[in-house]
Amino acid sequence: MESILFNEENIAILKEIISKYGGRPEGLIEVLHQAQEAFGYIPKDVLVEIARGLNVPLTRVYGVVTFYNLFTMVPKGKHTISVCLGTSCYVRGGKRIMEHVKDLLQIEDGGTTEDRRFSLDVVRCVGACALSPVVTVDDDVYSHVTVTKIPEILSKYE
Amino acid sequence: MREVSEVIIRSESDLDAVRAEVEAADSGYRYKLLVCLGAGCISSGSEAVRDALLEELGRRNLSEEIRVVGTGCIGCCGSGPVVLVQPDGVLYQGLKPEDAIDIIDGHILNGVFIERLLYKKPDDGDVVPLMKDIPFFKYQTKNLLRFCGQIDPTRIEEYIALDGYRALSKVLGSMTPEDVIEEIKSSKLRGRGGAGFPTGLKWSFTRTAKAEPKYVVANADEGDPGAFMDRCLLEGDPYSLIEGMAIAGYAIGAHKGYIYIRAEYPLAVNRLRQAIEQAKDWGLLGNDIMGSGFSFDIEMRMGAGAFVCGEETALLASIEGKRGVPRPRPPFPAEKGVWGKPTALNNVETLANVPMIIREGAEWFSGFGTGKSGGTKMYSLAGDVKNTGLIEVPIGTEMGRIIYNIGRGCREKKDFKAVQSGGPSGGCIPKEHLSVRVDYETLDELGAIMGSGGLVVMDEDTCMVDIARYFLEFCLSESCGKCTPCREGFLRMLEILERITTGEGKEGDIERLEELAHIIVDTALCGLGRTGPNPVLSTIRYFRDEYEAHIKYKKCPAGVCEALFDSPCQNACPAGLDTHGYVALISEGRFGEALSLIRERNPFPSVCGRICTHPCEFKCRRGETDDPVALRLLKRFVSEYVSAAPRSYQRSSNGVRVAVVGSGPSGLTAAYHLAMMGYETTVFEALPVAGGMMAVCIPDYRLPKDVLNAEIEAIHELGVEIKTNQRLGEDFTFDSLFGQGFKAVYLAVGAQRSRALGIQGEDLEGVYKGLRFLMDVNLGEKIELGEKVVVIGGGSTAIDSAKSAIRLGASEVTVYYRREREDMTATDEEITEAENEGVRFRFMVVPTKILGEGGKAAQMLCAQLRPGEFDSSGRRRPVPVEGQEFTVDIDSVIVAVGQTTDLSFFTNEGEVSTTKFGTIIVDEDTMETSKTGVFAGGDVIRGPATVVEAIADGIKAASAIDKFLGGSGKLVEVTRKKARIDEIPFDLEAEIVEQRRVEAPLLPPEERVLGFREVEQGYTLNDVIEEAKRCLHCDRKLME
Repeated sequence: MESILFNEENIAILKEIISKYGGRPEGLIEVLHQAQEAFGYIPKDVLVEIARGLNVPLTRVYGVVTFYNLFTMVPKGKHTISVCLGTSCYVRGGKRIMEHVKDLLQIEDGGTTEDRRFSLDVVRCVGACALSPVVTVDDDVYSHVTVTKIPEILSKYE
Repeated sequence: MREVSEVIIRSESDLDAVRAEVEAADSGYRYKLLVCLGAGCISSGSEAVRDALLEELGRRNLSEEIRVVGTGCIGCCGSGPVVLVQPDGVLYQGLKPEDAIDIIDGHILNGVFIERLLYKKPDDGDVVPLMKDIPFFKYQTKNLLRFCGQIDPTRIEEYIALDGYRALSKVLGSMTPEDVIEEIKSSKLRGRGGAGFPTGLKWSFTRTAKAEPKYVVANADEGDPGAFMDRCLLEGDPYSLIEGMAIAGYAIGAHKGYIYIRAEYPLAVNRLRQAIEQAKDWGLLGNDIMGSGFSFDIEMRMGAGAFVCGEETALLASIEGKRGVPRPRPPFPAEKGVWGKPTALNNVETLANVPMIIREGAEWFSGFGTGKSGGTKMYSLAGDVKNTGLIEVPIGTEMGRIIYNIGRGCREKKDFKAVQSGGPSGGCIPKEHLSVRVDYETLDELGAIMGSGGLVVMDEDTCMVDIARYFLEFCLSESCGKCTPCREGFLRMLEILERITTGEGKEGDIERLEELAHIIVDTALCGLGRTGPNPVLSTIRYFRDEYEAHIKYKKCPAGVCEALFDSPCQNACPAGLDTHGYVALISEGRFGEALSLIRERNPFPSVCGRICTHPCEFKCRRGETDDPVALRLLKRFVSEYVSAAPRSYQRSSNGVRVAVVGSGPSGLTAAYHLAMMGYETTVFEALPVAGGMMAVCIPDYRLPKDVLNAEIEAIHELGVEIKTNQRLGEDFTFDSLFGQGFKAVYLAVGAQRSRALGIQGEDLEGVYKGLRFLMDVNLGEKIELGEKVVVIGGGSTAIDSAKSAIRLGASEVTVYYRREREDMTATDEEITEAENEGVRFRFMVVPTKILGEGGKAAQMLCAQLRPGEFDSSGRRRPVPVEGQEFTVDIDSVIVAVGQTTDLSFFTNEGEVSTTKFGTIIVDEDTMETSKTGVFAGGDVIRGPATVVEAIADGIKAASAIDKFLGGSGKLVEVTRKKARIDEIPFDLEAEIVEQRRVEAPLLPPEERVLGFREVEQGYTLNDVIEEAKRCLHCDRKLME
């Protein structure tokens, strides 16, 4: 696991985030959200700081980080591709799209490409079911996706 | 945009003042252009459309007169981006930024609607400009969603102007907490999250709980895949929830509320945050609301991607910063909720309904809905349905109305199979139950649940076993892991389903699944566990035959479970033809081998290449990109290019005699295979010609007789004896055949009796039965039809009768059908070609009487029909419209309303067991009837079906008879050298480019009607190779 807190700037950012909930265990999930937003992932050294700052046992922090799908302790790719496999997207061919993306990028679900360009995730529903099958890349949502459109979509991201 | 000043609201008259100010600010605008900025439309590009409108208006200096408003979800998500032009009420859809100019030029400046951007009715292409007239909206009741899509969700003053916060004002000014609870109770509002617990009751429990402080929690963790209503509501009208929560707080005695919202909804999170800030700024949230002394504050909490956190106790744990693990109840949240204090935890939709109930009154609210449940419900309609989006209808609305009137049915001519209601906790509703009035209890009875309101429509391409596996996999991965039934039980169930979908199902698997399911339902700790088995139980209940096909026959009828078939096209062919094989061979120009491959199973490639209903093409994956590969035409090409059978084939006889009764496709196919296996086969045919329906009922313009006879001749050349003018029951019987030394009999006499309409006048001269009419035409009989001919029916026989009538010289031929065009069983191609030839169609009509003059038909009395209730076929039963009978003058009537079997040849009653429909009962595996040694197949066991199914039965019967007589049942291969298909090169890396199907020429309509020349011309050599190369090679799987 790579470390985040090797420089002053990151340490300061983390301190700021924690300070809003200092000593309050119930703020754990909010703090984790903001830490992940700031750093892209939440490695052990960050967890240790959070545990200390919020007065929560490290095991509990670890339990929460690993329980919720959104949090990750390993760095992700520069761009995150999420293929929706909610019911509507599944029924409209989402599985084939997933297979195609996996094939194209040579990675598995949850994996990251060698050049760290893309990470691939399954998302269980982004709520755009009317436009299925849906694929999101970072904040961009693509609708009515077909296998033929995938290379074009991916080529937009460096 | 003219600003409305922020003001601290202290009274109702303050609200009035805001409204007046908003109305004044708006009054200066000639038009308001409402652009949907719901998440769905944003991803379709609506922000660019809004920007284009603003830019164009700016350029023309119209910004002071025309207002552009970004609103929340209007609902028709599948047709976005959309713009609603007020005050006209005109809706434009499917917009691109460049359309902005047309809208402003045409509509705004010149009052002319832009037709190409309006909704078009699918049947006649008429445009429907006004949103309220569009079926998708017409059949809805937007009560809760009345703000969504109408207001700018970032401006609280617009909410106030449309009566927002009147309810809270009324509550704080003139109602006690008990009054509020009573009102909610009498409204019959029930929890909209899915369980349907009466909201008023829940609040009164929370109020009477002793501990302090109390809390209100809104569950905005809409985790059901397929549900997006709450999302749309929060993005488009965040204020209703906030007002509702404040009222709830007042009612139960709470001063703090939490909104728990899933992280996957960033836009909704932002709009809520903004709305909360605004409400605070305007004195409508926080301390001393409206000067009443009542304080209520709201904090937002985000989820982090855990479905289980939609469960109430898991959600509360998550608010407390812990893992979302449920705990046992009692105590319920009303007694011990967040921080161990009494909590009213309600779904977003439930709370958002509250202001409306207070304002309009409980009686008004409960007027919508049923006796047990008041109000309307939001649904997200998605999946294989034409109109996807956000809808709202009263509780108790018929499911068929939602799917068909609002949703417009399934896409691309696919058949409806089921609708999943309630997500992973719910169940499927099959077409037999489309008449169900959707309510909590009615859905429970059917094994489904109301759930949060996600409705996912599934068509015939969905495998219900695969769907069950999909939901189970979801539940297992979202299980918190705390209790054994859920954690271990789902795993075991999933293992069984994995085995079934990969061809390793075992006898007893279904029972094991049911047993596990019931144990988990009874013992799991929380809602996720207790409802997780529902999709499995539900699919077993309604689609048990699909499970059995997977387990017993290792077959996936829907063509989804890839381990059970090579390619979807082969899987769909009832005769099991190696479709992908012959397509690959054709693409290489190896036509002879392609034909041999086809003839390994099907001795009628010329026939099928012309008239097959091609179920293979409906499953062709190429069809998902552009058009399915033209498998039928490919088959036709090789059947013409290469001469029929390899004449050099020698077969040896085993001396055993088998009789076949009926020389239709089923009988002759069986005879073909039996002869190949070495049997001395004799076919007995009642008519003077061989070929059954293929010969006498399919007109020459679809299937020239010389083509058919060549293939029959090829079967004869194998040594099959065909005896015509031999009728079962008159010239021979089963026993006489056995007496002559035949060891087995295959009965394939079809279903040749025409159904009657059962109306007065059917026996008049000039009234023909469809099959009889076609037979007469085919055998060259002279028929005087006159000028005005009406054909009654909707299948191929009706269409062929109509086309034949035109060719015989009738000048006015109309087909009358009792349902709609899309319900006709004839193929699209057939119907369109009939129209091109001048046949007219009239739908939703039925004849009630035929009147004669001098014994000859002269007039027909008819009833106009309208769609009534949904029946068990999943379609609306047509019912007559009062007072709309009409009369038409006719010269001839051809009745083609279906066929039944004619079993008059049975000499003894009960010699062979039949169903009450008159079809013969056979063993599913051996095809043997109740009489030993007599087998049956084709229409006589299925009722009227297709040629390819008859051929499939013939193949199966030959194999079964061989086994019966001591053989292995294996078919004999025609080719000596099996075509080496795997040698054919295939480029894995090739990109799939859109390329539509190659058209095959048809005779021009003017030429066709002059006679009975074949209409379809078939492919040229270059065309056929190009078409074959469009195949995606679905059978090629990567070997690890």
